Amino acid sequence: MIVTKALPPQFPCSLCGANIHDRALKPGEELRCGRCGETLRRLHHRDPSHVIWALATTGLILWVLANVYPILTFDVAGNKQSNLIITGVLGLITQGFWPVALLVFFCSIAAPALHLGSLWYVAGACCTGRRFPMVQRVAHLANEIAPWSLVPVFLIACFVAVVKLDMLGTVYWDNGIIWVSLLSVCSMALAQRVDRQWIGNRLKELV
Amino acid sequence: MTDATRLELSRALVVAGLILYVPANIMPVMIMTVAGEVAPLTVMGGVQELYDSGLAPVAAVVFVASIMIPFLKLIGLSWLMLMHGSDQLPRERTTLLRVLHQIGTWSMIDIFLLGVLVAVGQLGILASVEAQAGGLFFAAVLLCSLFAADLYQPRMIWQLASP
Repeated sequence: MIVTKALPPQFPCSLCGANIHDRALKPGEELRCGRCGETLRRLHHRDPSHVIWALATTGLILWVLANVYPILTFDVAGNKQSNLIITGVLGLITQGFWPVALLVFFCSIAAPALHLGSLWYVAGACCTGRRFPMVQRVAHLANEIAPWSLVPVFLIACFVAVVKLDMLGTVYWDNGIIWVSLLSVCSMALAQRVDRQWIGNRLKELV
Repeated sequence: MTDATRLELSRALVVAGLILYVPANIMPVMIMTVAGEVAPLTVMGGVQELYDSGLAPVAAVVFVASIMIPFLKLIGLSWLMLMHGSDQLPRERTTLLRVLHQIGTWSMIDIFLLGVLVAVGQLGILASVEAQAGGLFFAAVLLCSLFAADLYQPRMIWQLASP
């Protein structure tokens, strides 16, 4: 419950119901519940929505690049096979493992795009101070989809794959890995910046 | 959804996850054929292979992410389910639930690894990678534990413990 307006001096914790005494915060400080440890209020140094919007825009561009450039090439006796993120999904479908394919597609392609896109929209609304259509629902989508956006995990899997393939043949990186790495960094930076409660309250203030 | 439904679903998913954990670890996740050599690989087999090639750090990462984390997550969730309604250690349980929620996604390494290997393992007789049923079970374990941790919410720990 992070609000820009003053809270009542005492209120119940939103998680455990303990009685909380509010106090004045310095920029960067958090008010936490003494019983359950829930963060109740945080005073940001500055409006975080501009940074979120910038990171989300960068992320969307990187997402496109990460999806159109091959990530790595495997070479056995002169026969080469390179892959995009989608190649693995298609391969799994061809082999009849569509549930696994769906999971890979959702977590490495669809969820990152939806997460970045929805944050871009919500942060845009916060920046401009205008109530964009359905912005509350989009903010809800961003919260729900966040745990499914797993580009950094995909990146680690690529590293492990290279190590494994190196034992079997020649393997080398393609340009795509740069974009996947940058996209990972971008999505981790976003995860750290996004303050759901702040956004929720900011959206309520918009007219 | 009411909290009673959440609790019931969450319990069912943890039990399902524990059952599925067995085939996920016994059955091969993929069959790798390189230069005529056919090798079915279980999750543990993949770790063993990395370790044997002197890549202990990589083996450790895969072991922690794909074997230890799913197991610890299921055990941790089982404990939380058993403790539900008790007023013991609510703060510790809240922290545990948050941690379990965070670490679960790292188990996806093995599923993505399968995806990448299937993608580049399309060189016919020279090198091919075929997904196997173990992968399905593994994915099912992950989904069960992910949804279970999502359904059981921190505030449910505090409902009976609050004054």
